[in-house]
Amino acid sequence: MGGWVFLFAVLYAAALLFGMVFFVIMYSDLESDYINPIDFCNKLNQFVIPEYGAHAFLALIFLLRGEWTALLWNLPLIAWNANKLINKTHMYDATEIFRTLPQHQKEAYFKIGFYLLSFFYYLYRMIVAFIAEADA
Amino acid sequence: MASPAEQLPPGWAAEWDATHQRYLFIETTTGHTQWEPPAAGSAETENAPPAGVTPAGGHGKRRQYAAGQTQAYYGGEAAPDPAYGQASAGLGVQQQGGQLFTPGLAAEGQFANQQQIAQQGGGTQGGYYGQGEPEYLNQQPQQYGQPPVDALANQFGQMGVGGQKQFSLYTTNLLTLPPDPRDLAQPPPEIRLPPNACISPSPTANADPSYFRSTLNAIPTTSSLLSKSKMPLALVITPYRSLNEGEEPVPLVTDTVIARCRRCRSYINPYVQFIDGGSRWRCCLCSMTNEVPQLFDWDQVRNQPGDRWQRLEMNHSCVEYVAPTEYMVRPPQPAVYIFLIDVSHAAVQSGMVATATRTILENLERIPDEGERTKISIICYDTSLYFFSMPPGSTDSSMLVVSDIDDVFLPKPTDLLVNLAEARGALEVLLGRIGEMFQENTIIGSALGPALQAGFKLMTPIGGKIIVLSSSLPSHGAGALKNREDNKLLGTAKESGLLQAASPFYKTFAIECSRTQVSVDMFLFSSAYQDVATLACLPHYTSGQTYYYPAFNAARSEDALKFAHEFGEVIAQPIMLEAVIRVRASRGLRMASFHGNFFVRSTDLLAMPAVPQDQSYAIEVQIEEAITIPFVVFQTAVLHTTCYGERRIRVITAALPTTSNLSELYSSADQIAITTFFANKAVERSLTHKLEDSRDFILQKLVDIISAYKASMTSSGAGASAQLAISENMKMLPVLILGLLKNVGIRQSAQIPPDIRAYSQALLTTLPSQLLIPYIYPTFYSLHNMPPEAGTIGEHGVILPPPLPLTSERLERHGLFLIEDGQTIFLWVGRDAVPQLIQDVFELPSYDALRGGKATLNLLENQFSQRINAIVQKIREMRRGVYYPHLYIVKEDGEPPLRLWALSMLIQDRADVLPSYQQFLSSLKDKVNGASGGY
Repeated sequence: MGGWVFLFAVLYAAALLFGMVFFVIMYSDLESDYINPIDFCNKLNQFVIPEYGAHAFLALIFLLRGEWTALLWNLPLIAWNANKLINKTHMYDATEIFRTLPQHQKEAYFKIGFYLLSFFYYLYRMIVAFIAEADA
Repeated sequence: MASPAEQLPPGWAAEWDATHQRYLFIETTTGHTQWEPPAAGSAETENAPPAGVTPAGGHGKRRQYAAGQTQAYYGGEAAPDPAYGQASAGLGVQQQGGQLFTPGLAAEGQFANQQQIAQQGGGTQGGYYGQGEPEYLNQQPQQYGQPPVDALANQFGQMGVGGQKQFSLYTTNLLTLPPDPRDLAQPPPEIRLPPNACISPSPTANADPSYFRSTLNAIPTTSSLLSKSKMPLALVITPYRSLNEGEEPVPLVTDTVIARCRRCRSYINPYVQFIDGGSRWRCCLCSMTNEVPQLFDWDQVRNQPGDRWQRLEMNHSCVEYVAPTEYMVRPPQPAVYIFLIDVSHAAVQSGMVATATRTILENLERIPDEGERTKISIICYDTSLYFFSMPPGSTDSSMLVVSDIDDVFLPKPTDLLVNLAEARGALEVLLGRIGEMFQENTIIGSALGPALQAGFKLMTPIGGKIIVLSSSLPSHGAGALKNREDNKLLGTAKESGLLQAASPFYKTFAIECSRTQVSVDMFLFSSAYQDVATLACLPHYTSGQTYYYPAFNAARSEDALKFAHEFGEVIAQPIMLEAVIRVRASRGLRMASFHGNFFVRSTDLLAMPAVPQDQSYAIEVQIEEAITIPFVVFQTAVLHTTCYGERRIRVITAALPTTSNLSELYSSADQIAITTFFANKAVERSLTHKLEDSRDFILQKLVDIISAYKASMTSSGAGASAQLAISENMKMLPVLILGLLKNVGIRQSAQIPPDIRAYSQALLTTLPSQLLIPYIYPTFYSLHNMPPEAGTIGEHGVILPPPLPLTSERLERHGLFLIEDGQTIFLWVGRDAVPQLIQDVFELPSYDALRGGKATLNLLENQFSQRINAIVQKIREMRRGVYYPHLYIVKEDGEPPLRLWALSMLIQDRADVLPSYQQFLSSLKDKVNGASGGY
């Protein structure tokens, strides 16, 4: 059973990873003026909450399954996202975007790294779990 | 005897050898050197033309006229072309009179003739360059005049090989030198471009400080040099400034020949170089070689060959082009004005409605409408919207009421937005009636958001200007705001929250507006809290302006007069529509951040739906890579539609020399531009961080500058010093920074209402330097003992008395003083003022009969009153912008709030927790010494 949870998590992390890559591509589009800031913000703002939600959902599954290490690994990011939601700074503001762009980019790169590490961690846990199941 | 350089045969160059104190002669083709002058020289001397002129016969018809510039550009080390042997090679810069011939002059005869004129020397320049001013030519011979070579040699000798004069740095000690307000009127440090940088002799070839200022008039070559100096690098631009009487309008290029660089898209300007015989030009920003357009040398008006050296864009730093259709997304739109007038109870009661409608009526004539295309609409609102339909041709109008404010719709598809000329009659009747129509209105509340949406809907297809007049906090429909004023928050870290937008509506609406080319101006009148901070968002992002008249009451004629004057000026202003601004700079420089009223549409493009006059923008510049060229160019291009329906491009070019020398960097600093930039920076920081942080930030910047200056420019180096040294040209910086720290927008205080603060911040970020500097450092005059000529008409209008330093030490008990900051004027009356003075100025028997507060000075039948009135009048008129300052009479023992307000302008005094100038300096000194001691 644990193996299946982590299989799901692996696919999930991959999806989130691609989501972040999409964000990064959009940032560079904005920088090189392929998209105007208004469209940019309208487009990306649709994805902010789903991204947070998806990540929180994964953490919820870990919680329900009692995968404490995996949950612990995800907690800091959840706190970070929650903090942004509470301060209402999660949305992209078209009037400020060029001033805040470097921050956003930094954050996106960090998240890519985070999801990448998560991906390999889940993969490892999945393999370990399946081997353990096969042995049992 | 003339310098040997001019007596040499072709192929020889003379170089002054400093160690041997004599000339070294070099045969340029072989590299052979000798101490004796080459023999052929003396024989040919008589016949050879003076140095600096290319012998026309020698080269046949080869058109080599850019060599001089190339030479200047790459320094004097390059071996001179043998053909130019007679030129003053080796003296650093070649002087090439011949370069100034005109390819456009088709006939060779003309060319030869021109050459002859050039040979006649500086005195008889008149012929060809007749349009230039002779005295200017004599001042700047290195640019292209032909004075005797000796003089040239001397001059270039002083300038060194680079040909660039050194800035001389004078250090002053701030502690012993009290600030003198007159220093603020001094022009920025001179821009010393390398010789031959500019191909035009015109004095207007570099941008005027009123259009363009840079914090440093010599750009450091590397970012490490800049960070070592701690100086900010920023530009302060006012691309659309008003023209004073007697000023030439911006020259207009009408033939639609627009030469632009293929790569960086910059416009041709006086700093490019013509190469390949004038058929190509090299861009001064990116060094790209471009073709000169075929029609560049063609005079389209007279249909004959023209003279490229006389083209406006080659002689003026600020020009306007008529833009061809490639520069249009749509045909030029007409100017559209929509007035949103608050007619709720409060607005009617204060007399705002009556004053506003009367002002519009009186100024209908002045609304820019040359082609009779201007459209206009009036919408009134309280908790409902009142539209007025004015069918063309009739003088009747009908009112349409929309009370559904949740889903705003236009009650009628036509006749709401009418052509000003066609509906003139109806408008006049309507404006005369609005006041009485709502006379009895008792509805309280304001549906500002829905009114904005309605106005927006009405003008969406065209774009234009919405002018909002609002007397209360928006309370109904979209964009309703809550009263969040909380006196407990004032002076705490949470105060900056009150300066940020409370509702996202105004920001998102502003973005929509910017997209559809709608600009919003706000006129706010409330006596209660109105959330200026939130409402100012709209003008901020749509390039409008906020005007605030706290506790407006038209029953006071001063209030009505001020508002009517400013409102009338705003309406009558010729605006630029559908504008975008881009600032380009030489390679290695990048525009990093932008401050001012606009929407940043891409990394370097500022969108402005309607540009008002006299708004200033600050741009921070980053040095991305080392700069290797001797001077850099900044070019601001404003693509816009005039309110008369013509698409135009305004181009402002400014060239600044580069330097790798720290002392040159300091001596070229412009304290006015630095202060303007810091004001913008402080406001930005107070919104993103805290007010406290913004003050600390500015103070820290100043400490850093002084510390860096002390460490690198004074003998005390890093150690402690009893002096507080700074360069002469920055000696007013500390007092300006102190003024900024004490300004209402930034000041540490628990008493300033957030509305007043927000308005002040809006001013700090938009005022051009000319208005901003008095706003930060007010002007202080003593009137009772002013010199006899003050207040009378002099050569430049009314003569003002000499300004005094801003300290109450100067206040005398029997005196009459005037303090003004461009927004308010205070007339301070001492308590022992003699009755005669009171009688002469106020027509009152004694000091006791005088009342403080807003007042109008009557023009009395005595000379003193007339002089004072002339001074007040001059103060109200002398600056750009629409502002008409109130006059307050302040009695020395009058009501405390007014007195304290007036005294708060004397920024060199100690007030409350705020330090006096002396205290400020000594704390600066401690910080500077402490900071450097720590290393």
